[in-house]
Amino acid sequence: MNFKISERTLEAGQIVLDISGEVDVLTAPLLKDAIIGQVTKGASQIIINLEAVDYLDSTGLGTLIGGLKRTREAKTRLSIAGMNSRIRRLFDITGIDKIFVIHDTVADAVAYAEENV
Amino acid sequence: MSSKPDKVTITLPCRPEYVGVVRLALLGVASRLPFSYDEVEDLRLAVGEACTYAVERAGTIDATLTVLIELDENGLEIHVTDDVPQDTPKRVSAQDTDLLAETGIDQEGLGALLMEILVDKVEIVPSPSGTTVHLTKLAPKQST
Repeated sequence: MNFKISERTLEAGQIVLDISGEVDVLTAPLLKDAIIGQVTKGASQIIINLEAVDYLDSTGLGTLIGGLKRTREAKTRLSIAGMNSRIRRLFDITGIDKIFVIHDTVADAVAYAEENV
Repeated sequence: MSSKPDKVTITLPCRPEYVGVVRLALLGVASRLPFSYDEVEDLRLAVGEACTYAVERAGTIDATLTVLIELDENGLEIHVTDDVPQDTPKRVSAQDTDLLAETGIDQEGLGALLMEILVDKVEIVPSPSGTTVHLTKLAPKQST
C-alpha cells in the first residue's frame, strides 16, 4: 500500500510527476491534488510518469481523466509516460487510450513536446 | 483440496484504507490455485473494484464490508457485501462526468466494465439494506 508522488521540473520547464506504488480509491485523491496543484501554479506541460506504478484501478483512471479535463481548461498539456503493460491494457480495454497522449518513457514525452511546440 | 469449498471471510470497515487489505488477502488465497500471474492480477483488480464500488457508495457513513471467498478446484467465488443503504446520498466524487462521457462510460461504469472484463462472471445484487457483488473466476484447466 505504498504510494508516493514526487514532482520535478525539467530544464525546458516541463513538470514531471513521478508516481510510485498503488493508485486506488485511497491514493487517487493525492494524485488529483498534485495535478490540480500544478495546473494552479500555471504549469504549461505536465508529464505523469507511471513507470513505478504497479497497480492502478478505475479510480486512478477516473482521476487521470479528471486531470485531463482540468489541464485542457487551463491550456496545460498533459501526457502520460512509462506505464507497464498491465496498466496499458486497462487504457486499451476501456477505450480511454484514445483521449490521452501516451508515451513509453518520459524522454519520449519530452522529445514529442519539443517537436510539437 | 476437498470437494467442499474452503471459505475465507474478512470483515472490515467500508473505507478506502481497507481496500488494499482485501487485495492482499485475495492474493494469498488465489495463489492456492494454479492461476497465472496475469490471472491473479486480474482477480486482485476485480476484487478491488468490487470493494471500491462499496466504499464510494458509503461515502462518510459508518459501514461494514464483508468479503467471503469460496475456493475449490473449480475456481474462486468472491462475494463482496456492504451494508450501505440504497438511499445513501451519492458522494460527488467525479465532477468530470462530461469528459468521462467522451469515453462512453461514467466512473461507476468504469469499475463495472473492468470487473466484467477481468473475471468470468459478475453479478451485482442491490437491496435496500446493502449490495453484494458476486465475482466468479474459474480455475485454469489442469493439463494431465
